[in-house]
Amino acid sequence: MTYPPKLRRLEDKGRECKIISTLDTMNTLGNITKPGNHFFKKSDYLLRRFLNNVTEESKRQNDLFITEYKRQKEAVGRIEKIDISYEKGSENITLVMNKNLSTPYDCAKHLGDSVRKKAVVALLNDESLWHMHKPLPGPCKLKFLHYHLPNPASVNKTFWRSCSFLLGAAISNAFKDDIQIVLHSFPSPNVKSGSFVYDVQLSLDNWTPSTSELKVLSIEMIKFCQQEHPIYCLDVDKDLALDIFKNNPHKTRQIPDIAANHGDKVTIFKAGLHVDISRGPMIPNTNHVGRITVANVIKLDTDIPEGPIYRFQGVSLPKAITLNHFAYGLLEDRAKILNTGRIPGSQGVDNEDNSFVARMTS
Amino acid sequence: MATSLANIFHKCSVTSLENKFLTLSITCSVPQTRKKSMFPFPPPRLRNPTWFTKKNRSKSDEYLTPENREFVKEVVQDTYNKNLPLAQDITTNVEWTPKLQRTGVIARKIGIYPLWMKDGKKVATTLLQVLDNHVIHYYPPEEYQPVRKIRNRVYNKKGCLLIGAEEGDPTAFTKEYCGLFTESGVMPKKILSRFFVSPDATLPLGASINALHFQVGNYVDVRGKTIDRGFQGVMKRHGFKGMPASHGVTKTHRRGGCIGGGGEKGRVWPGTKMPGHMGNKFRVAKGLKIYRINTRYNVLWVSGQAIPGETNSIVYVYDTKLPLRAPTKPLPFPTYLQELDESMPEDVYDESVHVFSDPTIFFKGE
Repeated sequence: MTYPPKLRRLEDKGRECKIISTLDTMNTLGNITKPGNHFFKKSDYLLRRFLNNVTEESKRQNDLFITEYKRQKEAVGRIEKIDISYEKGSENITLVMNKNLSTPYDCAKHLGDSVRKKAVVALLNDESLWHMHKPLPGPCKLKFLHYHLPNPASVNKTFWRSCSFLLGAAISNAFKDDIQIVLHSFPSPNVKSGSFVYDVQLSLDNWTPSTSELKVLSIEMIKFCQQEHPIYCLDVDKDLALDIFKNNPHKTRQIPDIAANHGDKVTIFKAGLHVDISRGPMIPNTNHVGRITVANVIKLDTDIPEGPIYRFQGVSLPKAITLNHFAYGLLEDRAKILNTGRIPGSQGVDNEDNSFVARMTS
Repeated sequence: MATSLANIFHKCSVTSLENKFLTLSITCSVPQTRKKSMFPFPPPRLRNPTWFTKKNRSKSDEYLTPENREFVKEVVQDTYNKNLPLAQDITTNVEWTPKLQRTGVIARKIGIYPLWMKDGKKVATTLLQVLDNHVIHYYPPEEYQPVRKIRNRVYNKKGCLLIGAEEGDPTAFTKEYCGLFTESGVMPKKILSRFFVSPDATLPLGASINALHFQVGNYVDVRGKTIDRGFQGVMKRHGFKGMPASHGVTKTHRRGGCIGGGGEKGRVWPGTKMPGHMGNKFRVAKGLKIYRINTRYNVLWVSGQAIPGETNSIVYVYDTKLPLRAPTKPLPFPTYLQELDESMPEDVYDESVHVFSDPTIFFKGE
């Protein structure tokens, strides 16, 4: 629909005026209102208006996450400066950033678009992996990891973990309203197994997915990723985590053990309106994901009382890596085989966090 | 902002704005179709076939390890060309009649050679190498939808046989294009072509066709794309005689001369021959006799040297439609189904052709 040119200009002007006024009034609240840090993107509004499957539950979880995020930012108080050292080729650059406020993504923004777009996960002091949108705790040496490194094992794991997380996001919105979905967990990422996995409790008995149903799930995932949601990270108290996941009995059971191993803190991630628990760093934005396929859904033999657990398996590639359709078809066929990752059971807590193997192979 | 609003309203009248709002509301409900512009030239009237898909994948850097590359190649070899029907296993009960139409063949024009007849005449022949043709798909007469629909009643409706030639790497094609070959199980081909056949003349999917599909002494039509000669003048394009090179002729040696008459219809008639683009069009050379067939390399030696296309271009060969050149002996129907064994001679000659290994022909005077 084309507006007459003069009217369109007028409308643009109107929109501009509105934005300026809100920025003026909100500036006093601090740097959370800066365009880069806003949560309410236009796409979020579209999601809320048009995506009827978005439940009240996910909206509640999302609101809790946002209020906690804002509270943590304000709780920093007096801003302290820290020195971040970055090696650019032969020269050493020192960035003066804000303690507990600046993220590796903010540092990348200072270093240029090519660094910012390529960076997948940050490496602090050559030892600890750090999520791109997680505030830096103190002075350190920063390195950005990307997909084309000679030894990309940790980047691959990060990507695989993010895919599992996003699979959970897609599943929670894909099914019809009469089917109860309760996300259980996902095992530690193992790229060599051939698929990333999410275990979900569904109120369906003996469901085998048809090819069209798998296609629909894949398309839902692709649509979600194409909305370019940034993935945010938060360390929350055990009580708040229990509040966020109070309607999920599986997660409620897992949280106390996770918190116990993590100094009474639980790491949660948010993408769009989906919130979930995970140990490790995730990719900074869903637009990193290129091709993605949900290969198979297999019913697991578990002793969990609430309902049957289905293992959703998928395979994907980042946008930075191109592959011909034939080879990708081979990967899809491989992902159809049941993934031998840890099967959830009522004995012991099945969570990535608790796994000895997961912690050793980070 | 208020002043700018006022300015805008002064510049266009209220009634024209109203009209614009009305048109906005109307165009919202009607699906919008953009008319194709006739500038700078009319859009091409495409007659793409029903299986038309994007064929080639845009190449990009693929960082696969050498082992993975080898593995993918192995899987490609194992996936395709499995359990293709052998010629011996194809059984038909139908005997050939002149009314039945067989399939054609995709060939490549490889050169021009002379042949000598038994009466001493020299004949120029074109060599057409029949490529590795396989049947990809068959559309029965009811199912096939031609792009240009024939309104008249068609008797003896023909089916459409999709034949492919020249194997290519599936990783270089798009997934859509490779999907055309999943039914027959044939390795994706670079060239696809359709041939209309009588429903009795269908071949099973994956069946191969070789040069012995044709017989020496019979006639074929060869369809190919003519050499692209670019923008050509009227002498080359339409065979005009031009004007003398000298004797006072001013500035007119290769031009078209007069382009029309006068009087009542004093205008240039549509279709007037003028310079323009020449070539790169499909043309059929009809009624070409096959003088020789080489069974080892699948080559047809076909009469004539003006077959459309350059050397190494693709042509489509099928039994002639000319009524006076119809075959007299029964043809291999639906295709040549005997096993190719070593006892078969490498070259099969027409009876009128002089074979060099035969004794010399002496002309006996009266």
